[in-house]
Amino acid sequence: MYNLFYRMEANKVCCYAHPDAPLIEDYRAGDQICSDCGLVVGDRVIDVGSEWRTFSNEKSGTDPSRVGGPENPLLNGSDLSTVIGPGRGDASFDDFGVSKYQNRRTMSSSDRALINAFREINGMADRINLAKTIVDRANNLFKQVHDGKNLKGRSNDAISSACLYIACRQEGVPRTFKEICAVSKVSKKEIGRCFKLILKALETSVDLITTGDFMSRFCSNLSLPNMVQKAATHIARKAVELDIVPGRSPISVAAAAIYMASQASNDKRSQKEIGDIAGVADVTIRQSYKLMYPMAAQLFPADFKFATPIEDLPQM
Amino acid sequence: MATTFEAAKNGILTNGNHVDLTSGHYNLEQDAIKEAEGTKEMTNGVQEPDEDVPEIDIEISNVVCSFSVRCHLNLREIALKGTNVEFKRDQGMVTMKLRRPYTTASIWSSGKVTVTGATTEPCARIAARRVARQLQRIGFNTKFANYRVVNVLGSCVMPFNIKIAPFSEQYRSQASYEPELHPGVTFRINKPYRATLKIFSTGSITITGAPSVLAVQSAVEQIFPLVQPFRSERTAAQIERMKNRAELKRLKTVGYNKPSKKIKQELNSEDGLDEEEAEDEDEEEDDDVLSDEID
Repeated sequence: MYNLFYRMEANKVCCYAHPDAPLIEDYRAGDQICSDCGLVVGDRVIDVGSEWRTFSNEKSGTDPSRVGGPENPLLNGSDLSTVIGPGRGDASFDDFGVSKYQNRRTMSSSDRALINAFREINGMADRINLAKTIVDRANNLFKQVHDGKNLKGRSNDAISSACLYIACRQEGVPRTFKEICAVSKVSKKEIGRCFKLILKALETSVDLITTGDFMSRFCSNLSLPNMVQKAATHIARKAVELDIVPGRSPISVAAAAIYMASQASNDKRSQKEIGDIAGVADVTIRQSYKLMYPMAAQLFPADFKFATPIEDLPQM
Repeated sequence: MATTFEAAKNGILTNGNHVDLTSGHYNLEQDAIKEAEGTKEMTNGVQEPDEDVPEIDIEISNVVCSFSVRCHLNLREIALKGTNVEFKRDQGMVTMKLRRPYTTASIWSSGKVTVTGATTEPCARIAARRVARQLQRIGFNTKFANYRVVNVLGSCVMPFNIKIAPFSEQYRSQASYEPELHPGVTFRINKPYRATLKIFSTGSITITGAPSVLAVQSAVEQIFPLVQPFRSERTAAQIERMKNRAELKRLKTVGYNKPSKKIKQELNSEDGLDEEEAEDEDEEEDDDVLSDEID
């Protein structure tokens, strides 16, 4: 029988008749099939999927998987080291019940800090429900900072919090310093300092925060309807455009805009509630609101339905 | 204009008058001594020698200098024998306060001394020499070595408000603006002198980290054309408020202090005659647009 194997390149297997046809892999049978003519090209292909299915709620301490987790390529020393697993069965225990072979050596002592930091970043991100892309970016930033070594003296917690903050900013979904502070052990001052140092060390810069970045989050936390959220976004944007709130932090302007919009609608929120959610003092909201109140008529969007007309808006 | 520049270099200027150096009899050293004695009226205003640009008053608030007496000092002896000294044991230094010029000297046992609080460069030098003289009188074999001005702090106000957000966007490499951390833009300049400027939306600019008064001046000259395109109008209320502030500041130097709230309440409740005063005070208590939150 004619040998059906025709190799064009050293590594590539393909059908002899259709060298350019993509191969379909059938995992269950272990075959590679030509998509054009149906010829089985590969034979007894080893399945690279996992041996065991692992479920997160299984409390079994023994993980039957023999290969361990996926390798973390960019971020670790990428050394293929062997680890002695925990002993099972009677032979692995001493006379006294102590396991004979001591538990796994520190496999990557140079990256111990890295692994700790990644775990920390993961934990923090988990608490505020951040997407995996942000976590990955934060990990990348931490790795870069760690390699650069100019922030060596700073505590790793502070650097990881600052990396998380920068990652959120770079992804276009900034979190306020106070929000990061809430899930971290570090003070806002220290995170701010590390933030500036990291930007200098990595020679990057971040975009300025705008009022619109926080609208959806704050409004959802206050359970305000979409109309109010849109109105608040419009108010804040207009206020910044007209420059009636010079020198005010965008967070305070956003909070004051939400207050104005909510007071004009049916779902009114007090300054204290908004201040709690936004992390702004209610006197700050009051100050920004006082600046915005005189121009209220110009700030509201044209199609806004007033439950409370502008004249009846609180002046405080 | 050249004369004011030279005068500015020496840090001495009278009340807006131009210093005439061509007269030949003007003795700058004498002037400095008189200032230190407190007999001469100190304004510390430095006129900007630019003709096509409105004059901006730069106020030098602090000149920090350091020198060495080149001998080991026994801090305990200084603490016991010296006048107006305070021994800070946890920091390992002695602070000596001078009355004229009003300065504070931090003395370390290595013989290094830092003098802060002076308002002009010659003032600082005189204060440093006074400290060295005091230490000499206590009995140490002092010399006056390595005198240099370490830091000069100054501030000025632009005649207009500044839109700091677009300004910081344009000068990304040199400016850093984080509204959550600080209400001002931190602008760093490197040539011809190193300085850090904090620019606020009200138009006031603070200069720190400059090596000399001249550096402060050149920094302001550098920043003015950069900031001018981003100017914006001031409201009448703001101008009024700034005037009131300046007025109060001037009164404070004479010795008048704004009456505290308690006293004002008492005054209010006593008789109607004082109501006018109380009204004026209330204006100051209005929410300050100028004092931005540092949340």
